[in-house]
Amino acid sequence: MSSPTLESGTATTAAATVTMSMQQALNRALDEVLAENPKAVIFGEDCGRLGGVFRITDGLQARHGAQRVFDTPLAESGILGMSVGLAMAGFHPIPEVQFDGFAYPAINQIVCQIARMNYRSRGTLPMPITLRVPSFGGIRAPEHHGESLEALFAHVPGLKVVSPSNPHEAYHLLKHAATRPDPVIFMEPKSRYWQKGEVDIANPGSPEGAKVMREGRHLTLVAWGAMVARCLQVAELAAEDGIEIEVLDLRWLKPIDAAALAASVGKTRRAVVVHEAPLTSGLGAEVAQLITQACFDTLKAPVERVTGFDVPYPSGDLEDEYIPNIDRILFGIQRVLEYKRG
Amino acid sequence: MAELSFPLPDLGEGLIEATVLEWLVAPGDQVERNQPLVEVETTKSAVELPSPQAGKVVRIHGGPGEKINVGEPLIVFEVPDDTAGIVGTVPKEEAPKRRVRLSAVLDED
Repeated sequence: MSSPTLESGTATTAAATVTMSMQQALNRALDEVLAENPKAVIFGEDCGRLGGVFRITDGLQARHGAQRVFDTPLAESGILGMSVGLAMAGFHPIPEVQFDGFAYPAINQIVCQIARMNYRSRGTLPMPITLRVPSFGGIRAPEHHGESLEALFAHVPGLKVVSPSNPHEAYHLLKHAATRPDPVIFMEPKSRYWQKGEVDIANPGSPEGAKVMREGRHLTLVAWGAMVARCLQVAELAAEDGIEIEVLDLRWLKPIDAAALAASVGKTRRAVVVHEAPLTSGLGAEVAQLITQACFDTLKAPVERVTGFDVPYPSGDLEDEYIPNIDRILFGIQRVLEYKRG
Repeated sequence: MAELSFPLPDLGEGLIEATVLEWLVAPGDQVERNQPLVEVETTKSAVELPSPQAGKVVRIHGGPGEKINVGEPLIVFEVPDDTAGIVGTVPKEEAPKRRVRLSAVLDED
């Protein structure tokens, strides 16, 4: 793993683009955050000595000390409760909940304390907490290791929610999130941890809002996290059929970039939103409404949703049937393309 | 590549040490998960320890007759950087496959 470059004000930006995996990008971002902010602390189950079950905090304890990168007991409520106290004391905690499904025992601390403390204290006790949650499915893991909690978190006033889709986004969005004065739920798409990509260290682009990952004029695919890569594959296949698809990486799931949705679908007039989470009350409904609100007059068809099913997340063997696959997304696109006004 | 150390586990009922009888693998060997690594003797019995994982053996600790305390390094493996975490498997990157083709008459108004 490459060590971070911390010299500021260097004149050259040589080798500013580095090829690395999302794991490495996140590790580097955390390393730099610790170096730049003496109040930043990282903790969670196995985050210290082991370096995290996904190696995201690998080597950080050795470099920054066990006072700043440490293991916690297996108690998520305690991890988040301690984050509240540290934030009150002026620290910037970066806790990790080891897997999405392990956030449930900590929901009380997240919803009743972290999300509200700033509001409750009339702004005197901000909660600059960056909660990292390895999220979504795709790695054939057992129960509680493949869930999509974005709608749950996005529903809570006071929380921001973001999910990167590639190493470049992971590096820059994590560095941005870890400097916010607000609590941010940082959902890492664990099935994308190992894929490599180019990270332009010097040119982050805007860390706010959604991002067009591929331009097209016939239809907009809206996705986040691991589904962005799949939608880019779909767009490539659709191009073989003469359909030019725009892929919008929502990135921030709270607040949602309504202006970007309006701009993209205003142009393409058709939209399909794709997510791994179950259909009912999923974030796809919110996205569909924001699009409809802005583009009702010009939409060619109702916004389609291609999502997981309304069942508990299945075991690994059934994962491929649950997570939206290429054919299900293509069917969703086809339904929109052939829609006729009655 | 990363190194991963495997410490001598508690072989049962609070034993605190074991004596190496014979190593069944050597540095440089590629081992599979559950492959016998070493035969050790405790105050209760002689047992073969299976490998907790696949990997290349980098170092072994303790020659025949030497005692190793529970929790001290027994063997060090070299593992690829891109191995999955403790849970799950690394997804395969495959060329996208499709069965559905799109057809549309797009009026470009």
